[in-house]
Amino acid sequence: MRRSLLLSAAIALSAVLAASPGHAQRKVTLNVVTAGDQNMVDYVKDYLAPIFEKDHPDVTVKSVGTGPGDAGSQKIYEKLVAEKGNAEWDIDVAVIHQKAAGQMVSEGLLAAYVNDVATGKLVHSPAASNSLGANVAGYVIPMFNSQTAIAYNSQLVKDPPGTYADLVKWVDANPKKFGYNGIKGGMSGVSFVVGWIYAYTPDAEKLMKGPYDPNLKGTWDAAWSSLKAFNEKVVLTPGNAGTLDMLGRGEIEMGPVWVDMFYTWQADGKLPPSVKLKLIGPGMPGQPMYYTVPAKAANKKLAEQFIELATSPKVQADGIVKRFNWYPGIDATEVKSQLDDATWNKLFVDVTPQDLQTKGKTFPITPYFNDILEGYEKKVQ
Amino acid sequence: MRESRLAMFLLVLPALAVVLALFVYPLAMSAVSSVTDKAGATTLDNFAKAWELYREDVIFTLLIVAVSTAFIGALSAGIGGYLVLGESRRAIAALRWLYRWPLFIPFIVAAQCMRTFLAKNGLMNNAFDTLGLIDVQNAVGFLDWRGIIVTFVWKQTPFVALIVAGAMASLDRSTIEAARNLGASRIRILLEIVLPQVSSAMIVGLTLSFVTMLSVLSVPIMISGGAPTMITVDMAFRINSYSDYGVANALGLISYAMTAIAAWAYLRSNAAKRGMA
Repeated sequence: MRRSLLLSAAIALSAVLAASPGHAQRKVTLNVVTAGDQNMVDYVKDYLAPIFEKDHPDVTVKSVGTGPGDAGSQKIYEKLVAEKGNAEWDIDVAVIHQKAAGQMVSEGLLAAYVNDVATGKLVHSPAASNSLGANVAGYVIPMFNSQTAIAYNSQLVKDPPGTYADLVKWVDANPKKFGYNGIKGGMSGVSFVVGWIYAYTPDAEKLMKGPYDPNLKGTWDAAWSSLKAFNEKVVLTPGNAGTLDMLGRGEIEMGPVWVDMFYTWQADGKLPPSVKLKLIGPGMPGQPMYYTVPAKAANKKLAEQFIELATSPKVQADGIVKRFNWYPGIDATEVKSQLDDATWNKLFVDVTPQDLQTKGKTFPITPYFNDILEGYEKKVQ
Repeated sequence: MRESRLAMFLLVLPALAVVLALFVYPLAMSAVSSVTDKAGATTLDNFAKAWELYREDVIFTLLIVAVSTAFIGALSAGIGGYLVLGESRRAIAALRWLYRWPLFIPFIVAAQCMRTFLAKNGLMNNAFDTLGLIDVQNAVGFLDWRGIIVTFVWKQTPFVALIVAGAMASLDRSTIEAARNLGASRIRILLEIVLPQVSSAMIVGLTLSFVTMLSVLSVPIMISGGAPTMITVDMAFRINSYSDYGVANALGLISYAMTAIAAWAYLRSNAAKRGMA
């Protein structure tokens, strides 16, 4: 509580400072508030802002971070709710997670800006219209897509499993050679568990799209007991980075990872080139983050121009794909022409665009998500 | 007289305000939140849920911290004892110089070091492998409950040893010399002459260590991925994954109860010391 208070105070203060009319040349300040890790703030501050300010000499971009995870988006939501009665809101562009996007659209906090932005036509992924069950079409453009997949050491695993069922067989034959980080050490483990429920219950579609049925969780016992048995034969790693560490040291041969973290580690030399990725069926979840414009943003027009720049094929190629190893938020085909083959191949050779289309799932809608986590706590660990 | 009383009050005020604002107020809020459900009604559901999901973790936490405390006590007695009773000046000087180092390393850094040191193909096993002691292919990693204990002991032993060694150094050496003259072994002098005289310092050091270890999140979260885990991890998980402050605070109160036991031991030893003086 104290932290969130402090943070919102910091946001409010920076917003007040930004909005104060002392600037001599009547400079406009564009407030870009992002949830997510520090790299998100840096991306806006060090990469996007200079490009935008070059084209708009009278504009200063102010990048503010609200912290990682859904908690970061929650702070943006709380701030907009608090400002609801004001004529103008001091957040111009908000970068948020899926959980918050649905809620903010349904409460009228966001502007339907996508049709006013030229790059809005370059997005066709389901994530652009469906956010954990909520219809967000017209209100959001994905900044990037992040995906989980199974990383494996191709020198030791010649024929990597292509589905959860194959993986279970592989683990039976190779005990303690697969590792994941449970559900308390980061989202790559959570994603693996969600994929397990998608694979071993008939409810995957319902979990992703709703509606919520509180009795459904009672029917997952078989999936949980098979996961409990599976856990006996695997290594539980300490965190997202823990799985990558163990892969790098050769302690495990396989494990679920975030694709962007994987490539960053490989580029830094912390993972050997022989470690590769495979997105296994029926599928594993990933998630985008969204560019949004609050309904009463003070600089709505500028905000739209900023997002137009940020979602242009060139910026998506250089910034999102090349620098951060994220999948592009707009259609991959639009981005391809902007990239050299090496970069493109790096990102799409292990996990093809078709894989992403068929096996890249979304996370379940919020109440089911909580049911899955608590089911795991009760029945698996 | 009245003025000096006012001055005294003013002098105490900052400390009192800090205690009220940073301890009493959060404790009260935590207690209130732990018996309030999301709708705001009073309930014991949070404790029921904490017990249902995390009772193993509560016991695990208590065991880990208790075992670590025992090791820390034994090791710091050994270090302090050697500094007082050791015969090789050079070894004493080296030990005196070395043993404090972990004191200056934060828990999170210690945990990060241990992650690469204790892993299956980590520094420790690879070193043993190079020496021909083990074959790293068949080695086991220690990144589980054992890793947590190793990290805690490594990090907290210097703290307790510092306090205990100080108390030992200020002992009246004539008792030690007398025992030595009568032919007592060094172990016996340590156990029967030195330790009983520094027991209150030892209890203070161990109590403070116990409470510190109970509150550490970084070590269990970075060392061990498995279950059961320590309740600090569960508290963080309740808040980050479910925005559930109720159950997190219920776990917090359980942790307060554990520290209360330690605090009771601490106060008792303090009172005993005052009685002696």
